[in-house]
Amino acid sequence: MPKVHDRVLLALSTLGLAGVFFGGFLNFAPNRLATGVAYPLSQAPSLQAAAAMAGLCGLALLSFARAQKLWSFATILAAALILWGSLAGAGHFAAILMQAGPPAARASLGPAFWTLASVAILAIVDAVQRGDFGFLARASIGAAICAGFFLMAAAGDFDNLSLAREFLNNRGVFVTELFRHLGLVGAAIFFALMIGVPLSVLVLREKAAAGFVLAGLGVLQTIPSIALFGVLIAPMSKLSEELPFLRSLGINGTGPAPAVLALTLYALLPLVRGFYTGFSEVAVEVKDAAAAIGFGWRRRFIEVELPLALPALVSGLRVVTIQAIGFASVAALIGAGGLGTFIFQGIGQYALDLVLVGALPVIVLALLVNLTFEMLLGLARRNL
Amino acid sequence: MIELCNVSKDFGPTPAVSDFSLKIESGAFFVLIGPSGCGKSTVLRMINAMIVPDKGHIEVRGENIRAMEPEKLRRGIGYVIQSAGLFPHWTAADNILAVPHLLKWSPSKCAARLDALVTMVGIEAALLERYPKQLSGGQQQRIGVARALAADPDIILMDEPFAALDPVSRVALQEELRGIHARSGKTIVFVTHDMDEALRLATGMAVMNNGRLIQAGTPASILLAPADDFVRDFLGGESLQLRLLDLVPVRKLMKPGNARATGTIAAEASLKAALNLMLARRCASLGVEGERGARLGEIHLSDIIARRDAS
Repeated sequence: MPKVHDRVLLALSTLGLAGVFFGGFLNFAPNRLATGVAYPLSQAPSLQAAAAMAGLCGLALLSFARAQKLWSFATILAAALILWGSLAGAGHFAAILMQAGPPAARASLGPAFWTLASVAILAIVDAVQRGDFGFLARASIGAAICAGFFLMAAAGDFDNLSLAREFLNNRGVFVTELFRHLGLVGAAIFFALMIGVPLSVLVLREKAAAGFVLAGLGVLQTIPSIALFGVLIAPMSKLSEELPFLRSLGINGTGPAPAVLALTLYALLPLVRGFYTGFSEVAVEVKDAAAAIGFGWRRRFIEVELPLALPALVSGLRVVTIQAIGFASVAALIGAGGLGTFIFQGIGQYALDLVLVGALPVIVLALLVNLTFEMLLGLARRNL
Repeated sequence: MIELCNVSKDFGPTPAVSDFSLKIESGAFFVLIGPSGCGKSTVLRMINAMIVPDKGHIEVRGENIRAMEPEKLRRGIGYVIQSAGLFPHWTAADNILAVPHLLKWSPSKCAARLDALVTMVGIEAALLERYPKQLSGGQQQRIGVARALAADPDIILMDEPFAALDPVSRVALQEELRGIHARSGKTIVFVTHDMDEALRLATGMAVMNNGRLIQAGTPASILLAPADDFVRDFLGGESLQLRLLDLVPVRKLMKPGNARATGTIAAEASLKAALNLMLARRCASLGVEGERGARLGEIHLSDIIARRDAS
């Protein structure tokens, strides 16, 4: 029995195989409401299906190999084969099925596809992390994977998939809602910083206030997001009724204003806690030594305390941003717009592919933000 | 050089330092000693204005420090603390050159100074590009000492700098520091609670208890005439006489003579070392040798016992 060198990879490839054998690859329904028929990968166009399966077998075999730089490349290649194979397979398969079906028919991606795609992406992320690649190598790997996807999309490979159809139908609105989503998140982080930074200074200066403020923010954090959005509607509409100038600014019981307020409140705890731990964990001796050899307070802050607290600050900001991206989806419920619009529209119309048009970009956004912050964190920790 | 006049400081209800007066001469290796919490660190930190006294005044180089800008004062006084307090995000070299950078020295002057310091404090050049966490405790403290010496201040304050080190590194750094003091003639104010360390290094010392100065003088004068029972106990009670022997070199009690001896000892070694060797060899006299092993004379147990104030 050969020795398993990479349990993660073996688990991933097993998961992929299980997905292929037990789940449908493509679901074909005559219309949106009908249940439809699940087609396995084995009935997909053979070239693409074979590519995906070859990649999967490659991953399984690689889990028995010793980890090396070459190994990382091979893993990435095998995973890319799975990803591209299943993407192209799904597209072409949908085209074949749609030709024979009625115009209202829908071909949606099944569990086997999602399993394969997730396995491929996880394997790539894992291999890139272990391969200890430089920034340029990571960027080019990411670009190559994305390029494959966009080339296929441009060639119209996905046009028959109902997910792509939903996206294309909503293309104009999608861009608007995407920017709205980003706007909500950006505004919330802006206001959270405006409130959070002075609050952090207070908490750091007055240790007595620390417990009180952090506990208060902790209570805010435990309120479920939908409840907080709902609770804000009444006071905010009252406020805008009383103060016409607020109304003229577009501040209302519903819409973006209460959403930004709620997102800001949620952001405060992780932000203040990050700032608080960051600065209070700078060793006393180090601050003391800086003062004693003649650093003024400003220089001490900029050259000693800030760089030492930076990793915690960046971590805090990362949590805040990712959390806000997620919570902002719920804001659609109170009319604030954003990617959540598609999710709730999709749920209402029983169009699961429309839900994905909203949900997938939220996931991608969160991952991108996470990646960016990981890089920033790496920079901040460089010398620590 | 440094003068504290009737200085008092309270932290809350209990006085940390009360009515403390002390004069430290230029070029002294002055040790402040006392039990934990006796106020010796507070006194030290008042000299560079890290703590401002409630009453009294402090003069450094004949100038009242209250009239000086604290940052400027501190840049002219080296400072070393127990844990070294190095900046973890700076390399050893950057840490050493912290004050020269503050004083905006030119790069070439900094580089030359770094070279000189590395030799002076005994730092391997390979360590200079490392970060503090990559260094051992002893290496970190050498960097800390080099940082204090960097801008060539005439005064250096040290707050239990070697307390956290292993015995081997501690003795090595003590020797290094003694050499630096002897060669440079800097004024060093050194806080410790370790009597052996104090006696090994001090040219002058002050014993403190409960925020007050109990006795000040040379190590020998304090050992010979402890002011009260507290000082006697703190000096080590039973081993007080042995400690006194530690201060006197064999040279002082040496007599001419060339008799065959069971052992020989260096003229600069302490009487304590001589006594120790006599006990080990079970003999009552030793030959005394000079630096190159030349016979200088001999030393007798009876002379050590009969010794009056040999210092």
